This record gives sequence, C-alpha cells and structure tokens, in this order.
Amino acid sequence: MSGREIFLVGLSHKSAPIEVRERVALSGEALKAALGELKGMDGVREALVISTCNRVEVFVQAGGEEPARRFFTARVAAAADHLYVKSGVDAIRHLFRVSASLESMVVGEQQILGQVKEAYGLASAAQAAGAYFSRLCNRAFATAKRVRTETEIGRGASSMSQVAVELVEKIFGDLKGRTILLAGAGKMGALSAKALAVLGADRILVTNRSPERGLALAEQVNGNFRAWDELQRLLAEADVVIVSTGAPTHVLTREMLAKAMKTRRHRSICLIDLAVPRNVDPACADLDDVFGYDVDDLEKVVEATHEARRGEALRAEAIVEAEVLAFAKERETRAALPILAQLRRRAEEIARAEAERTLAQVGAKLDEKGRRSIEAMAQAIVNKLLHAPTARLKEAASSGDGALAGAAAELFGIEGESPRAEPRGDAPAAAPRAAAPERT
Amino acid sequence: MSIVILRVAAALYAGATAAYIVYFARPRHARLATAGAALLTAAFVVHAIAIGLGCSEFGGAEFFSLRGGLVLMVWLAAGAYLLLLRFYHLPTLGAFITPFILVVLVPALFGSPGHPELPPDAVRHPSLTLHIVSAVLGVALFGIAFGAAIMYLLQEREVKGKRFGALFSRLPSLDALDRMVQRLVRAGFVVYTVALVAGTITATAVWKSAWSWDPQQIVSMVVWILYGALVQLRHSGWHGRRYALLTLVGFVLVLGSMVSLRVVPGVTRHTGDYGTNAPAGGAQ
Repeated sequence: MSGREIFLVGLSHKSAPIEVRERVALSGEALKAALGELKGMDGVREALVISTCNRVEVFVQAGGEEPARRFFTARVAAAADHLYVKSGVDAIRHLFRVSASLESMVVGEQQILGQVKEAYGLASAAQAAGAYFSRLCNRAFATAKRVRTETEIGRGASSMSQVAVELVEKIFGDLKGRTILLAGAGKMGALSAKALAVLGADRILVTNRSPERGLALAEQVNGNFRAWDELQRLLAEADVVIVSTGAPTHVLTREMLAKAMKTRRHRSICLIDLAVPRNVDPACADLDDVFGYDVDDLEKVVEATHEARRGEALRAEAIVEAEVLAFAKERETRAALPILAQLRRRAEEIARAEAERTLAQVGAKLDEKGRRSIEAMAQAIVNKLLHAPTARLKEAASSGDGALAGAAAELFGIEGESPRAEPRGDAPAAAPRAAAPERT
Repeated sequence: MSIVILRVAAALYAGATAAYIVYFARPRHARLATAGAALLTAAFVVHAIAIGLGCSEFGGAEFFSLRGGLVLMVWLAAGAYLLLLRFYHLPTLGAFITPFILVVLVPALFGSPGHPELPPDAVRHPSLTLHIVSAVLGVALFGIAFGAAIMYLLQEREVKGKRFGALFSRLPSLDALDRMVQRLVRAGFVVYTVALVAGTITATAVWKSAWSWDPQQIVSMVVWILYGALVQLRHSGWHGRRYALLTLVGFVLVLGSMVSLRVVPGVTRHTGDYGTNAPAGGAQ
C-alpha cells in the first residue's frame, strides 16, 4: 500500500534496564550510519532516532513498524522484550511529550529538548528526516517551549546535588577562587562535588580516614588528598564542606567550627551533611556565618520541587494534548487537499471546455459582455456544485474520517490519476508527502 | 512652580516603585525591571528640573530646611542607584530603594515650601555648598547601604532558616549583597568625610572655632566614627550578619539625628540664625 503513517518503536528507562539501553544506544557517526540504513529500508520515507542514556526511540514514516523494530532487534536481540510500539497520533503525542520533558525520569528536566533537537539535526543532516519530520519536530519544539514558558514545570531543584548547588549559589554567588572540602568517601559526596563544579570551584580537597579510598576519590573528582588529622585546619581553608563518612557520630562538632570560624575571620562556610546518621552537629548551624544542611533539609526541597512539578505536569499535559490534536487535524486536512484540488481542476476543465464550445457556436452573435456572462455562468455552476462536497470533505478529513475522501475519489473518477497530483505545483498539496488516504 | 514639577517627579517615582515591586513579585517579567529603571531615570531628570527651578525661585534657600534636605537626598539616592545599575545587575535592589524614596518624598509634596529665608550672609561661606551636597550624598549612600543590608538580613534568614521560598529565589546571593553593602558603606564614608571637612572649614570661618560641641557636630562625629569603624572592621574579618546589623544601626542614627535635630528648634546652630546672632531668624 502507498499510504504511509508515522510509527514509533523504542525503549526507555520505563521499559528497559540500563544494561539493554546502553547496548542499543548510538551516537555520532554510528547513529548517522544507522539512520542511512533505516532510510534505505523498503517503504521508509523518513526516519528519526532519539538516543539518550534514558531512551532510544526510532520514528519512521513508513508502511509499517517493521523497519524501526529491526533497528533494535538486528543489533541486540534482547531488546525485543522491552520495545513499545506506537503509531499515528499516539506516536506524535509521544514525541511531543518527550520533547516537553513529560516522559523524563525527572519530569521537567531541561536537557531532553536539546537532545531531541540534536537528534533532529542529525537526522536532517543524514537526509533521513524530510519535510514531514521537519514540520513534526518544529511543532514538538514549539510545544516544549510553550510548556516551559507557560508552566513552572522546569522550576526548582529536582535532585539533592542540585539543591546543594542552589544553596551554595545563594551563599557564595559562585565558587571561583573558593575551596570545596570532601570529608569522607561517600558516593553522594562525590556526586555533589561534581555538581558544584558548575559554579566554577577550582580547588577540591579530599580527606578520608582511610587514605586509599581517599586518594582514589581525590583522583576521581580531580582534587587533592589531605590527611584526616588535618581536618581542623582544613575547615579554615574550605568554604563548602561536604561530609559523608560512615561514622556513627558527629565528625564536626560545634567547638571545631567555633574555632575554625575564628581562624577564618568569620568568612561564611557551608556545611552539607550527607551522612545518615548525621556527621555534623546540628548546633554548628547556630554559629554566625555557618550554614548547615543535612540530608533531610535537601530531601525536603527535592520533595517540594517534585510536588510542585506534579501539579504543573497536569497543565503541561493539557498544552501538549491541545498541540497534538491541532497538529493531527492540520495533517488530515492537508491530506484531503489533493483530492479536492483534483476535483476542482477536473470540474473547471469541463466548465471551460463547455463554455468554449458554446461560445464557438453562438459567440459571434454576442458582444464582449455576453461572452463574459457565459464564462461566468459556467464557473458559477462549478462553484455551487462543489461547495457542499468541498465542505464535507474538509470536515470529514479533520475529524479523521478518510473513508469519505476515498469514496469521493471513486465517485468522481479521479482515483486513477492520483500519481499525477504530485508534480503539479498546486499550492499546499505539494508539501504533504503523506499521500492522500486512498483505497487500493 | 517647582512644587508642581516635583509632584510630576513624585508620580514618576511612584511608577518606578510599582514596576520594581511587581517585578519582585513576578521576576519572570524582566521588562518590568527595565521599565522601573526607565521611570526612575525620568523621575531623576524631572526632579533635577524641579531642584533647578527651586534654586532660581528661592535662591537655594530651601536646602537649608529639613524638607529641602530630604528632597535633595532622595534625588541623590536615585542618582546613586541609577549609577550603581550601570555597573552591577541589581534590579531587585530597586524594590527596596524606590519605596524608601517615595516615603521620604511624599510629605514634602504637601508642605508648601512657602518662601524660605536664606540663612544670613555671614554663613554663606564658599565651602557651604560642598558641605551640604556631600553630607546629603553621604547620607543617601548610607541609605542605599541600608536597603542592601536589609536584603542581606532577609536572605540570610531564608538561607539559614532553610526556608527556600519566594525571597530565596528572588534575592541575590549573600556574598553579592555583603560586598554591595561594604562598597556602599565605603563610598558613603568617603563622601561623608568630605562633608565633615567642608563643615569644619565653614565652622572655622563662620563660628571662629572648628569644634563647638554643637549637637549636630557631636552626632556627625559619632556617625563618622561608626562608619569609619565599619570600613576598618572589614579588614579584621567582620562581615555578613554583624556587618549588616551595624549598617542598619548607623543609618537609623543618621536619619534619626537628621530629623530630630531639625524638628526641635534651637538645639543646634545648624538651624535658625546659624549661630550668627543676626537680628532676624528663629526656627524655620
């Protein structure tokens, strides 16, 4: 059949474990090659591949989903069990939702839109994405932008590291020329230290009871290792202290901080205690210019963000739904246009021919005005006759009813001529390559 | 005439205040901050015209009253803030400065200046103008520092109290606010020092003694020492909360003394006949 639809085959963090995802993910040249291969498959008109660490999704405009499915199964057999398939409006909706970050692991995160844009850029460069995907993606991007400006879905810190970054930013502005101290080799600590790098911290110190793990961590975060006995002195040097040791007691006490603050001349210090049980005496935060936070504090902010985003997600869904429907409706109206154009052309040809014949017989007896009247009459008959069918066809198309268009083609006898429709530069009819829904 | 122009300026100040406050409430509308700055600039210019007209109408006499002094102060504060905006991105500070300008300005709109009398010629030493302008500018700078210090204390309460609400996201970082307070205090101190030197020169010429235990002199000296200490304390590690609190205390002292010494007649030789024993005079 020549009718082509959009199909999506993919897997994501919701359907597949990381082991599978990392095996099917592609990037750069390999992805370009894969796109070329997809495009070369039978019946595939356009293709788009989104490949991030959380999802790999293949969109094709084709006669069926098989080419997209083969993208996965041909390379990783195990992927077959984790694939989901969507088609038509559902596939369009999915792309819109992914772009708007409604499908993300952390709803509202901002990176995904960039990744989808990149995917489209790549598909476009590989000439896998054409006019249809161009329009589709642009609408998806516009929708994502609308969601971002009209809702607060991207607001707030959504992970503990991000909360830490936000806090430190509100205390110090940036971390240029300042020092981060990692006390203890906990995994969360390292993550937070890495997150803080965005604030421009150029000096990271690491201290740990066991030097081996401390040294390893120092290497991992690009920092310098210091002996654990120096802790008191390090407190005077560091501006942000991230504590995550396995110790069951307070590693930093109020006395230590009070002493350190004197040496620091009361320059502000931020203590982030990621350990459970806590490693920093809560009384430390009572001191002037000492800002102390524990896991609970950070967790509360994350929870508040998620809570707020859940509320905003509902509003975002509504926006996405409206845009998807608008897009789909527009597509279907466009799909009906070739039939309408042919119908009108055929009718006008007949009208002109008949008018000419009449004029050839009686034209000599008429003045210029009379000849015009005959031409106008023929045109008026065409218009009146086609008015109702045109309206009905447009209406049927926009409500998703393709049957009527097919029936009209058959009824007016223009079915057989459909291949001729494309080269004609008939305004909008030239653009949609999703050919008219027709019966074969 | 100048009072009419001043009212126009006040309306523009009110517009700027509204724009800045709404911007503070809805920071996503960045255009409001631009509008606030534009309105404030317009207000500043119109206010300058009002001051110029006032000078030609009363020969500068109105700056010898509390009313004139305060009007001059808000004009200089607006100018200083606009100048600050050129160097630092601080639109939220506007929401703290402009209401303050409005509050100080509004009473001056209704009390008509009448026909203020010029102080006796004997007082009108060449250094007097410098004394008045630098004193008022110094106070204006302390006033902006006061606004920034309030922002610091509010933000500190948010950050330390783990309340990450609206203020937390809208106010600048503690470090930026702290440095801003420090810079303003330092600049204010320098200008205020100029005012004291010019005042001493005037006093020596007019009253024949540099120091006469005049209450205004005493308060000014206390203020000068306090802000001087603030400048010095910075080097010995004072900053943050304590610094902001001292800045508040300093400004309350400045403004309080400025108002009270002029409201109570005859306390200081900075009012009335300016200690020249001229036959005319009495408290304004």
